[in-house]
Amino acid sequence: MKKLNEMREVMVAGIGIVPWGFYPDREHYDFGSEAVFNALKDAEMQWKDIQSAFFGSVYQGTGSGHQVIKEIGQTGIPIVNVENACSSGSSAFRLAYQMVAAEICDIAIAVGMEKMPTGPIPSTAFRPWELQSGFNVQMANYANETVEYMHETGATVEDFSRVTVKNRKNGAMNPNARFQKPVTLEEVMASRMVATPLRLFHCCPLADGAAAAILCSKDKIKSLKRSITVDASVLTSGVYGEGMMMGGTMPSVKYPAKVGIVELSAQQAYEQTGYGPEDMDVIQVYDTMASAELWDIEKLGLCKKGEASKLLKDGAFNIDGQMPVNTDGGLMSRGHPLGATGLGQICEIVTQLRGEAGKRQVKDAKIGLAHAMGAGPNSSVTIMKK
Amino acid sequence: MTNIVKKKVPLREGFWKISSAPDGKPQLLGSKCKSCGEVLFPKKEKNWCVHCNQNDLEEITLSNKGTISTFSVVLQQPGGGFYKGPVPYSYGCVRLDDGIIIETIFSTDNFDSLKVGMDVELVIEKLYEDDDGNDVETFKFQPLS
Repeated sequence: MKKLNEMREVMVAGIGIVPWGFYPDREHYDFGSEAVFNALKDAEMQWKDIQSAFFGSVYQGTGSGHQVIKEIGQTGIPIVNVENACSSGSSAFRLAYQMVAAEICDIAIAVGMEKMPTGPIPSTAFRPWELQSGFNVQMANYANETVEYMHETGATVEDFSRVTVKNRKNGAMNPNARFQKPVTLEEVMASRMVATPLRLFHCCPLADGAAAAILCSKDKIKSLKRSITVDASVLTSGVYGEGMMMGGTMPSVKYPAKVGIVELSAQQAYEQTGYGPEDMDVIQVYDTMASAELWDIEKLGLCKKGEASKLLKDGAFNIDGQMPVNTDGGLMSRGHPLGATGLGQICEIVTQLRGEAGKRQVKDAKIGLAHAMGAGPNSSVTIMKK
Repeated sequence: MTNIVKKKVPLREGFWKISSAPDGKPQLLGSKCKSCGEVLFPKKEKNWCVHCNQNDLEEITLSNKGTISTFSVVLQQPGGGFYKGPVPYSYGCVRLDDGIIIETIFSTDNFDSLKVGMDVELVIEKLYEDDDGNDVETFKFQPLS
């Protein structure tokens, strides 16, 4: 079996994103196609150049990507719709990456899009009895993991409230974020309780949105100056014995997982690239809940377990810190259109590595990492370099 | 006038049984793998161990005592309309004495009293009343002190 890093080099030729928020009068194919047009323009390519398309979404139903393409033009290329919970976008990216790496095609597009449904959502991520028992409240599932994390590391509510403050500050510099207004520590800690100990401002907001990335071989790139190389695109989906309540799994007492899925996906990505966590100049982690950013930073190996709170307080994860995390405001500011989130993170890494992030630009960013989780559970890690 | 007798309906069949011992306490039903010793809940439908992949499962009753390993008090209605119990409610994980961690609702009048490490005991209680007026029951864990 050929290793992915022994295959052809794959580059990001262009990215496209739309402002994330609420679009009551627009459908996923409206803003999904807008993201595609933006990516084509960014890549200086035509739609007829695209040879393969992958569309990530969770709630858009049958043939959701096909609906987008109807807005652009049917060219007979293969379209595959990818549902992998909140890592749908990054899973679509991985498939497009593999197509180009394996030389099955030269130019592929990955799109993530979501118009969040209102009213009852027919969740299939949990078994019927779990749904009937009320175990599908993701805020509460994260709250449970937060209680455990606080117990194990001594982290406090104030510690993870600082994640929201940092990310909302970064989001204020992101014109595509749903929330572009900073919040104070006091405001976070006084917001209404949702699921103890998590309050409203500890939870990422939902949003409608879309993002796209065009991947290609080096010879197809129009502007090498702005191109970014994909070094690793890894997906791991559940390991035996690891407790992950947001994916409906309990830890095994007798056979606990030796390596969790986040650690495993990070290890595989580091191994493929030859980089370590210390080489990352800019990092997008999965902050569905403020507390989750702390343990995600630790699981990705950026610091040891229990150290993230202090590093955060000391400013290490600020845009001008040693390890800038969630520079575009993360899920906390950007909002969370499930299927689009993973690609939104990838777009930010590309923007940062190109040096086009404006006020939120990380100085001299050369290598970046994006990490998306998903119910299932799923964990996907993407590493890119300038 | 007819007396309508309220029926008690389990949320799902096969989750627990009432012990034949004189105390008549409820017991959760699980599966144990005779090959690797792994304990699973709910009881597996197929004779297949998801840990070691052997066809060697047997039905067992689980300990009805354990300790809270984590919990949260939920203050908003779960999405989707599947959950018909009261809000707020609390759920989390209990580590049973026989080496398995299960997800459960907690039965308590005082959410503030819940703590990690607290001893709890299995109870079968009403979750909600269905459209026919029957009490739909489920398993919960209740603090011992």
